[in-house]
Amino acid sequence: MPDLQAAVDDFVIKLKRRQVEGSLATAKSTVLLLRQVVSHQRIPSSGPASSLIDAVKSVGSRLIAANPMELAVGNMVRRVLHIIREEEATIVAAQVGVTPVSDSDDDADVHGVPGLSAVALAAANRTALRAPSLHNLLESLPTSAGANVEPVPESDTKSRCKSSDKNSKSWKLKHGVIDAIGLLLGEIENYHSEISEQALEHIHQKQVILTLGRSRSLLHFFREAKKKRSFQVFVAEGAPRYQGHKFAKELAAMELQTTVITDSAVFALISRVNMVIVGAHAVMANGGIVAPVGMHMVALAARRHAVPFVVLTGLHKLCPLYPHNPSVVLNELKSPSQVLDFGEMSDCLDGTDGSPVHVVNPMFDYVPPELISLFITDSGGHNPSYVYRLVAEIYSPEDH
Amino acid sequence: MGMEEEEQVIGDFNRWRQRPELAEAVAAIKALTAVIQRSQASTMMGLEIELKNASEMLKAWDRSSISLSAGCDLFMRYVTRTSALEYEDINAGKSRLIERGERFGDISLKARETIALLGQDFVQDGCCILVHGSSRVVLALLKLAANNGKNFTVIVTEGGPKKTGMEVSKKLSAAGIPVTVIVDSAVAYTMDRVDMVLVGADGVVESGGIINVIGTFQVALIAHSMKRPFYVAAESFKFARLYPLDQQDLSISTGQEESSNPARDYTPPHYLTLLFTDLGVLTPSAVSDELIQLYL
Repeated sequence: MPDLQAAVDDFVIKLKRRQVEGSLATAKSTVLLLRQVVSHQRIPSSGPASSLIDAVKSVGSRLIAANPMELAVGNMVRRVLHIIREEEATIVAAQVGVTPVSDSDDDADVHGVPGLSAVALAAANRTALRAPSLHNLLESLPTSAGANVEPVPESDTKSRCKSSDKNSKSWKLKHGVIDAIGLLLGEIENYHSEISEQALEHIHQKQVILTLGRSRSLLHFFREAKKKRSFQVFVAEGAPRYQGHKFAKELAAMELQTTVITDSAVFALISRVNMVIVGAHAVMANGGIVAPVGMHMVALAARRHAVPFVVLTGLHKLCPLYPHNPSVVLNELKSPSQVLDFGEMSDCLDGTDGSPVHVVNPMFDYVPPELISLFITDSGGHNPSYVYRLVAEIYSPEDH
Repeated sequence: MGMEEEEQVIGDFNRWRQRPELAEAVAAIKALTAVIQRSQASTMMGLEIELKNASEMLKAWDRSSISLSAGCDLFMRYVTRTSALEYEDINAGKSRLIERGERFGDISLKARETIALLGQDFVQDGCCILVHGSSRVVLALLKLAANNGKNFTVIVTEGGPKKTGMEVSKKLSAAGIPVTVIVDSAVAYTMDRVDMVLVGADGVVESGGIINVIGTFQVALIAHSMKRPFYVAAESFKFARLYPLDQQDLSISTGQEESSNPARDYTPPHYLTLLFTDLGVLTPSAVSDELIQLYL
């Protein structure tokens, strides 16, 4: 346990100091840490899922508070919570199906509706897990609509076979969750290759592609497409961090014809471009994206000239929150030294010659879903209006 | 079914409708539950047929109400689905249906609370909200936001010719929310200083669009052209199996008389930003998904 505490504290400090860079690395570290939390957690025989959920939630809220801007942390915490709830439901359903007689009395306490057949019980469990739908409205009891089904903590005077039954259930749950988290980890690690596999479908011969700043997934994407297609890339430099310069170097090393342009030149050159492909920092539940500053401008230019605006993203960047939600802090302000050298303007910056000049250096931009043509994710290409479906599949509504 | 049965069903429905907090769809479902209680059928099929007749009668009683027919359809669909589950004993099946029907009133109130909780997140300090039409859900949402200490102002359209806006503004003032009433024609003039538009709905159709009091489409058009978000607060039992392609389709399907004074209009999904429902915050494209889940 002390090891675990130290690991959590360590990670929280890293997040606070912004030492973990990029949503991929953050997502991976978060998932590894949560797997540790799950395996170290001692599971009581009654209510195994809720103890796991509480443990994950307490660690998760610390992590999210450490860096609220890094949405991938919150996403991964919610994914793990969803995994726990799903595993619980599958185990309960399997148990009910196998031993309807021995479980019927304590399950009857749980559901409070005795005399229902086992099939109906399992169906109720499965539907309780899915997001509430029109049918569930009438199906579930109003007081516990969609709530997690937990066995009432019984006294210890249970028959031995029942208690060992429960122990195996919690053992199964824990290992099921750890396996599923392993799958999640694999999914995160493979997302670059999944996305690049789709590159040939989207990039055609002799196309001109525009992008802004630098994106690792885009690098892999272009590398894959380069094998069979010849195309050229315009890279907007992405002031004030100028990540575009670094990206242009990487592309040139791949022997791709690259042109660097300033952000202000995007509108002037957009009519010569066939397609805009960019990466995103996070995807919101309504299909909008949070992207490096300047992206909204590029999106508007693309819409104005009917150029498709394609976004590469992994499912770990998909956030179940909406951009108007005040708890989602959508922007971080970086040091103004990136914009203005301290020496040049220091006299007007502190107000000695009249009123001071303020310098604001936001890190991110929000692009609304109407400006985005396509999302390319590790599960294929999707319309922005389809994002709600992906959110419903990988997250539980109780965890938002 | 005889004349007296018909009178009983409709009488029940009207009695439930007297209660101001109860939505129309809920009153319909309660009336149908009463039919189950009185039923002498010996099989689930027989019960279903009786319910179907009662539901047709209710729908015929008020053809123009979308939420009434949506509520009836929802309950009928639930009944058909439930009888597919194994219920050896008709009495057990009946009692379960009755129990559910009676709880539906609670569900309706809970739905309103859920929507208020979801929607009030979108109300920020210092924002200005435009409200059109008179919806209990919208009122609940705004009251909750005010109770949670948010400072915002509301602009209410007058809602002619019945001037429903005055009632709404009275209720909002009573909750301590600063309200301004404007004439319907001043919506474009005021849209500049409005941050978001919030309306309720009589019905939500398959395409994700809404049917609401006349004037909603106009407000949506203005909000869209001036890039203001347009939010709809509607309970999920208002989801109806309709697909109007234009305003004329609406009058045909609801039996509204072709008049120069229509009571309702249809707003296509393209002009809606988000819908706040008890199933969660949905984009208009998600609505058809939910309907398919229920009716398939």
